[in-house]
Amino acid sequence: MKRLVQGNEAIFLGAIKAGANFFAGYPISPSSEILVLAAEYAARDPGFKFIQSEDELAAANAIIGASLAGAKSFTATSGPGFTLMQEAIGYGHQVEIPTVIVDVQRVGPATGMPTMPAQQDIVQTNYGSSGDYYPLVFYPNSVEECYRYAAAAFSAAEESLSPVIVLSDAFVGHLNEVVDIDAIEVEVVPRSRPPLGTGRRFFTGLAHDEEGKPRTADAMVYREWLSKVKARHKKVAARYSDLEFKENTSTDTLLISYGIVSRVIAPLASEFALFRPIRIFPMMGVELRECAQGYEKIVVIEANDGQYACLVERELKREVIQIPLLGGRINLDLARKGLSEKLERGLP
Amino acid sequence: MFKDLLKLERFPTTWCPGCGIGQIMIQLAMVMDELGLNYTNCTIISGVGCTGRLAGYMNVDGVYTLHGRTLPVAEAVKLVTPSLKVIVVSGDGDLASIGGNHLFHAARRNPDLTVLCNNNQVYGLTGGQAGPTTPRDTPTVSSPAGAHYDPVNLQNLIKAGAKYFYAKTTVYHQLHLRNCVREAVAWPGFAFVDIISQCIENNGRRLGFNSAYEMLLHFRKTYKRAPEGAETLEPYEIGIVRQG
Repeated sequence: MKRLVQGNEAIFLGAIKAGANFFAGYPISPSSEILVLAAEYAARDPGFKFIQSEDELAAANAIIGASLAGAKSFTATSGPGFTLMQEAIGYGHQVEIPTVIVDVQRVGPATGMPTMPAQQDIVQTNYGSSGDYYPLVFYPNSVEECYRYAAAAFSAAEESLSPVIVLSDAFVGHLNEVVDIDAIEVEVVPRSRPPLGTGRRFFTGLAHDEEGKPRTADAMVYREWLSKVKARHKKVAARYSDLEFKENTSTDTLLISYGIVSRVIAPLASEFALFRPIRIFPMMGVELRECAQGYEKIVVIEANDGQYACLVERELKREVIQIPLLGGRINLDLARKGLSEKLERGLP
Repeated sequence: MFKDLLKLERFPTTWCPGCGIGQIMIQLAMVMDELGLNYTNCTIISGVGCTGRLAGYMNVDGVYTLHGRTLPVAEAVKLVTPSLKVIVVSGDGDLASIGGNHLFHAARRNPDLTVLCNNNQVYGLTGGQAGPTTPRDTPTVSSPAGAHYDPVNLQNLIKAGAKYFYAKTTVYHQLHLRNCVREAVAWPGFAFVDIISQCIENNGRRLGFNSAYEMLLHFRKTYKRAPEGAETLEPYEIGIVRQG
């Protein structure tokens, strides 16, 4: 049945569709609707477990514990909470724990501008924790996609054995759109690992060998482990190479945007070519290069000061024009103004 | 046999000769053996630090969490699998300092967890820095003129809620220690066992002890059993205070 659904609600429903049965979280706008929905759901369904944690450190570690105990677990937060969760995200990669973290972004750093929308956690999803890791990150731009990619995140988490991030922002999270949730088909992957209480395993945040034995001074064991994990993530990422590309042969300029900004600049499709990564990390490589071919100018419009633009530049090995939409004001006029300043007047 | 609960193939352990953690592990294994706890019905969650390594030597599923995060992990495991006996083993620095916020809230929520705290009053693994339980004026590498503050009062922290279980014991008092662990495991709520133990290499020698044995004799001399029915343990008393 078609009805009005909010972005945050769609994320919650997508998680439920994927079989999620554990949520831990700490209230933070603009993500709190997800926590409240989880609390309400747990009150109705005893099979769904809910913890309102004392802080985001506890929430992120609780979803790890729940995952080890056999649940499909997730949490939702925003910038400052996402920062506190970084240690658990690193742990999840070291111990290979499938779980899902939703980050509904707002303007930062720190408490910033609660709760104006931003896209300032782009780099943090990828480099926020210590060490090397290869996270899978989705960034939907509609209510339907919130549902679809929340569900996909759980599958990708099981396949990659890692914490998967779903990015959103205050606008996408609070967007209301008419959708028929039940008509959206998603693939559901079952739990991949037997729960605690069935073996004699040792799950450790120390570097370890295949048997879970700590190996803290053996470079070869570490390198083999990292390359195995890297290869697995690459393989899983290839299954979710979702993007949107609108070719335009009448222009020499490709606009790259994602999340809410891609919705805002959609009317520019008649003037420019548009590229939007949905699985935003691992970084699109071949796909991005192919789409960018034939366009002289590459412009990245995003609600941060060039976080994704720098990564695009590195990937394409060409200069990229940056149009940052900062301070929570994201609209078409600002995007047009930026384009005219940078493309027509050549301002830096 | 309690030895079946140990991964003997991973011995020798990482711990220094004379360390108290091995003795805590043996007593825990004995209690688990007595109560029929094994890999099918029990899991051990440990924190970072010397004590954290304990989970890796026990023949059950074990989790070596992030530093300070044993309790959020353990609470979630227990909530998802209520039939599982969840035992947390960690150090005083992990539980009372970096994990202090979780300890306070876990005690308040009173989940059915057993927590064994290896209280050696120092950060051993990192070389002997002062911790939250270091007695005032004790010299350590990070408090050369003596620790500046009074140690955290774990008993009062645990007893802040309406329901609580707090036991204090030492590694010297082996039977008492085993009894405290047994009672804690059987307790239907949050049970905290504060185990005074010795870190000879990174604390004891600096304090003038020549061996772990001397430290144990010091525990024997210093700690006395609390009188029957005591509602509060005095600073150098061992015993159990509880309210269900």
